Amino acid sequence: MNREEAQARMQEIQRIMERATLWTLLPGTAAVIGGLLVLAGCAASYAMFRSLDFADILNLSLRGQVAFCVMWFAIGVVGVLVEVVFTAQAAKRQGLSPSIRSARVAAFSMTPGVIVAMVLTFKFLIPLEPRREEIQYIVPVWMMLYGTGVYTAGLFSLRPPRVLGITFLVAGVVALLAFQEYGLVWAAASFGLLHLAFGFYVLSKQRQE
Amino acid sequence: MGDSIRPDEIDYVIHERVRLAIVSALAVTPELSFNELKEMLSLTDGNLSAHSRTLEEAGYISVEKTFQGRRPLTTMRLSTKGRKAFQRYLDMLRQVIAQGDSSREAP
Repeated sequence: MNREEAQARMQEIQRIMERATLWTLLPGTAAVIGGLLVLAGCAASYAMFRSLDFADILNLSLRGQVAFCVMWFAIGVVGVLVEVVFTAQAAKRQGLSPSIRSARVAAFSMTPGVIVAMVLTFKFLIPLEPRREEIQYIVPVWMMLYGTGVYTAGLFSLRPPRVLGITFLVAGVVALLAFQEYGLVWAAASFGLLHLAFGFYVLSKQRQE
Repeated sequence: MGDSIRPDEIDYVIHERVRLAIVSALAVTPELSFNELKEMLSLTDGNLSAHSRTLEEAGYISVEKTFQGRRPLTTMRLSTKGRKAFQRYLDMLRQVIAQGDSSREAP
C-alpha cells in the first residue's frame, strides 16, 4: 500500500465515522429537557387563559399576550441553546468538532422550516384584529414544519430522527384538519411528550455497550 | 527505502473496503442495526450479510439477533478484539503516510 492509498483510506474512514457519529451526537438529553420545558410552558399557558385553545390568548390583556409570547420565545431559545451545548459536549467526548459537515447539513436542514414557522406565527399574531382560526393554525404549522425539518435532517443520519419527523408531520396534519381548537394539547403531546419519548429512546440506545 | 507496507503487514479482514466501512461505523457507535448499517453504507442485504459474517468469524464484531415485536432485529457491535485490530490498522495507515512524507522530504 502506498501513501496515496493510505491517505484515501483515512479520509474514507473519517467520512464514515462522522456519519455514524451523528447517532451519538443525537441530542437525547437536550430532547428530554426541551420536552419538559414545553410541558411547563403548556401548564403555564393553561394557567394564564384556562383553556386548551391557543386562540383564547385573545382574551388576555395586551400585557398578558406579550408575556405569553415572550415565554414561548424564551422556551424556544433555551431549547435550541441546550441542544447546541449538549451536542458540543458529546462531540468533544468523541474527539470530534461539533461543526462536522454532516452535523452542519443536518442543522441547516431544519432552518428553512423554522424560519417559515416563525414568519407565519408573526403573521397570525400581529394584525390589529387577529383571527381566532389563524391563531389556532400556529401549533399545527409548527408541528408540520418542524417535523419536515427533523425528517430532512434525519436523511443524513439514522432512522430515529426520521421517525420523529414523520410523527410530527402526520400529527400536524391531523391537528390542522381537525381539533385545531385543542392547540395546547397538541403542543404538549408533540413538542412535549414526543420529545421526551425520543430523548429517552436515544439515551437508552446510547448507553448500551 | 520506499513508502510501501509489506502485504503480510495488512489485516485483510479489515482492509477490504466494505468491512473497513462497517468497522469504522461501529467504532464510534455503541451498536448499529443491520438496516441502519445498510442505509448508512448503501449496501445490499447480501453484501452486508457476507461481510458482517466474515467480521464475526474473525471475532471483530458481535452479532445479536432478537425480535422487536414480530420483526427480527439484528444488531452489531465492535468487539474488543475488533477495536484493537482497527486501531492497529489505523496505526499502519499513519505509518505509511508518515513514511511517504519522509521519503518526499529526503534529498
